[in-house]
Amino acid sequence: MQAGLEAHRLTKYYAAIPAIRDLSLTLGPGRILGLLGPNGSGKSTTVSLLTGLREPSLGQILFDGQNIADHLPEYKARVGYVPEEAHLYSFLSGREHLDLVGRLRRLPTGLRTRKIAALLELFGLTGAADQPISGYSKGMRQKVLLASALLHDPDLLVLDEPESGLDFAASLVLRHLIPILASRGKMILYSSHVLDYVERLCADVVVLHRGKVLAHGPVKDLRARMQSEASLEGVIAQLVTTVDPERTAQDIADIVGQHA
Amino acid sequence: MTPRDTSDATAFRLVTRVFLRRMVDNDLVSPHADRHESLAVLYAIVISVAVFATFFMSTDYLSEFVELPGVAALRALGDRFLFISASIAISALAALLSWDALALEPRDAAVLGPLPIPARTITRAKLAAVMVFAGALTISLNAVPSVLYPAFLTANIRGTRGATILRLMAAHATTVTMAGLFGFFGILAARGALRALLGERVFRRTSSWVQSALVLVMITGLLLAPTVRDTTVRGWIGRAATPYGLAPPVLWYLGLNETYAGRLVADTPIVVPARFALTPARRRAGQAARETYRALLSEFPALAHRGWLSFIVVSVLALATFLWTNRRLPDRSAPVPAPSQMGALVRQVAERGIRNDPEAQAGFFFTLQTLARSAPHRTIMTISVAVGLTHALIVVAHRGWQAVGLQSIPLSVLATSPMLLTMWLVGVRYAVRVPAEPTASWTIRMTWLGDERSYLAGVKRAAVVLATLLVVLLLPLNAAQLGVASALAHTLFDLLFALVVLDALFISYRQVPFACSYVPIQHPKIVWPAGLASALLVTYGFAAAERWALSTAPRSMVFGIVLGAIALLVQAIDRARRRERCFVSFDDRPAPATQRLGLFEYITEHD
Repeated sequence: MQAGLEAHRLTKYYAAIPAIRDLSLTLGPGRILGLLGPNGSGKSTTVSLLTGLREPSLGQILFDGQNIADHLPEYKARVGYVPEEAHLYSFLSGREHLDLVGRLRRLPTGLRTRKIAALLELFGLTGAADQPISGYSKGMRQKVLLASALLHDPDLLVLDEPESGLDFAASLVLRHLIPILASRGKMILYSSHVLDYVERLCADVVVLHRGKVLAHGPVKDLRARMQSEASLEGVIAQLVTTVDPERTAQDIADIVGQHA
Repeated sequence: MTPRDTSDATAFRLVTRVFLRRMVDNDLVSPHADRHESLAVLYAIVISVAVFATFFMSTDYLSEFVELPGVAALRALGDRFLFISASIAISALAALLSWDALALEPRDAAVLGPLPIPARTITRAKLAAVMVFAGALTISLNAVPSVLYPAFLTANIRGTRGATILRLMAAHATTVTMAGLFGFFGILAARGALRALLGERVFRRTSSWVQSALVLVMITGLLLAPTVRDTTVRGWIGRAATPYGLAPPVLWYLGLNETYAGRLVADTPIVVPARFALTPARRRAGQAARETYRALLSEFPALAHRGWLSFIVVSVLALATFLWTNRRLPDRSAPVPAPSQMGALVRQVAERGIRNDPEAQAGFFFTLQTLARSAPHRTIMTISVAVGLTHALIVVAHRGWQAVGLQSIPLSVLATSPMLLTMWLVGVRYAVRVPAEPTASWTIRMTWLGDERSYLAGVKRAAVVLATLLVVLLLPLNAAQLGVASALAHTLFDLLFALVVLDALFISYRQVPFACSYVPIQHPKIVWPAGLASALLVTYGFAAAERWALSTAPRSMVFGIVLGAIALLVQAIDRARRRERCFVSFDDRPAPATQRLGLFEYITEHD
């Protein structure tokens, strides 16, 4: 039985339109896998399949050698997830939200209370912990999402744009936290548009374009494949960019400059 | 007009349109729903209910071959009382359902604040949107009955002229529209006055509870209105009896209508078709009714005066408080009130009660939090309580609260608290089908460990705790009526009854409360009336059994034991049925409201 996450030839249709096709990837313990691609490339669909929130139309996902479709609750118990949009129960406070998540994950009362207090403190949310989430800023909501994803010490962390809305200090904490968690054997799937982040954090990347895997492997292999010494940004640009960015930027500036 | 004026006028029009949309895209009525579909459904409900009610109320007039004007004028008092009550209550409810959108909100400041639009224009646009919404609502609500009712009323009063019918229509339309605007502006004024008196911080803390209390009052008033008979209305107008509750404002607008158009019906001469003769008794009854009506005429001008005065006062108050409280865009960074210490205390006590089951704790607390804080859920619970309260008020109006002997307790008195409890539990059962916040449901889906039993047990426990509070609140009233010992036994029986009803309501429930997508009830026109009839049957059946049980101590004991056994039996059946885990679908989709042509299936099959 192989440890880790394996996706085999995943395909997902929405009303007969394929969002992803034949997607395969692997993620082992202690590894950080970057998931990259332009808007509409299928990143969010991939994430929703890998978290078990949606079922693939074709293909299967194995976790520690077992099909997650057959053991979905057990699988979800080992996954922590930070979604792209910070949708939380706005009528709960940050502490109540974490309490709800901790209870549903069957954390014992003492442990849950201690962890929640500590995480709120470390994420700088203690002062707002008992206020309704409806009054939180985007960054504060993002911190609640991070705390709730980490609360039960998951084996697999799926992070979809986790740095979105975070202030500078919190971003730095996150950048340090992810390698530490990986060093403790956690598997981390990191989906982001911030290529600089991904390049620093991830040993391996998957590049998606129009629902298909364009590349999967270590960043240095990608560079070699593209015969380029450029940054990851340059490599991705070569792989997926279909427009001339300089030309497009020039056109936008021209349109903006038009007056009656 | 200068270019600046032109751009201001354009901005005013655009912003007004945005605000109007917001009033329809209501967080309460249609969160995340298709606006056009919601509007179509709501408007269809309003029109069909108005047509149906008008026709139903007019059957007496339509079935008479010759209607006597005096009798019709008297009978119309009760009908008009109902029309005016409905107009006030429904318009007020519409205002309450748009409660947050009645004033500028932080999100308005966030979206419109950065744009080069003067704050004054934004405030004026909001006011215009509120006025247009109120006007459109009251007119659409009352237009059809204003035409149909006078036509039906005079259909068989021979000798009624066309101009008279038109004047009756105009008077009816004016009165009910004014009453509707009075209801709407009353809520606007109440909201504005509270906001001005309490200040932003206290208002935000109490606003949702005030809103729920007003919804409760309005729904109860709306449900009670059809039970008021024309003889009662006559008593109130003639000061033979004192009107109670919300009746006086309705009487003011009734007075307004009768001042302008009351004589038109009452003074119509009796015209009998050829070869048809009225019996002397009927002719005498018609004359007596005419005299009775004429005796009331002196009361109408004073009522009409109060109607005008109340309309002007409420409108001015609404306008003044609106302009005062919306003179600035709301501050986005205004501090959000923290929960009270009482909440923390309740949490600690409850946590001790279900110490070893975190999922049950989750269900328990999330139920309390959702029912208390989520606007759609609070409204569901308010409506269910209003139905039970209406039953209680009807019983009180007929029987009073005087002490009665155990042998002669009316069933309706004993059925009051079981009815309230049943409605409460039906409300909870319905509320769990509605997601607490659809976009946040992923939280529970992601943390769901595949077994709903503990979580559901927590949900039920929360419902029982709230039901117990309800019963305890009723205890002093029951004690005053039945005596302390019988009231305590009654309370205990009620609680056992609540346990049975709760388990029975959830016995086939296989979803995750507050987390699965909402699927509307199939065939509501059959299910809701059948449900209400069943509730009446069950509660009155229970009350009959309880009356037998309360007559002697041994009977009470036997009844208690039997009820306890039934409660345990239903629980055991529920447990047995849940022994096997079943698949929970979080994403059941309702059938589309539009006509299905099967094109999607055709495309996928041929793709």
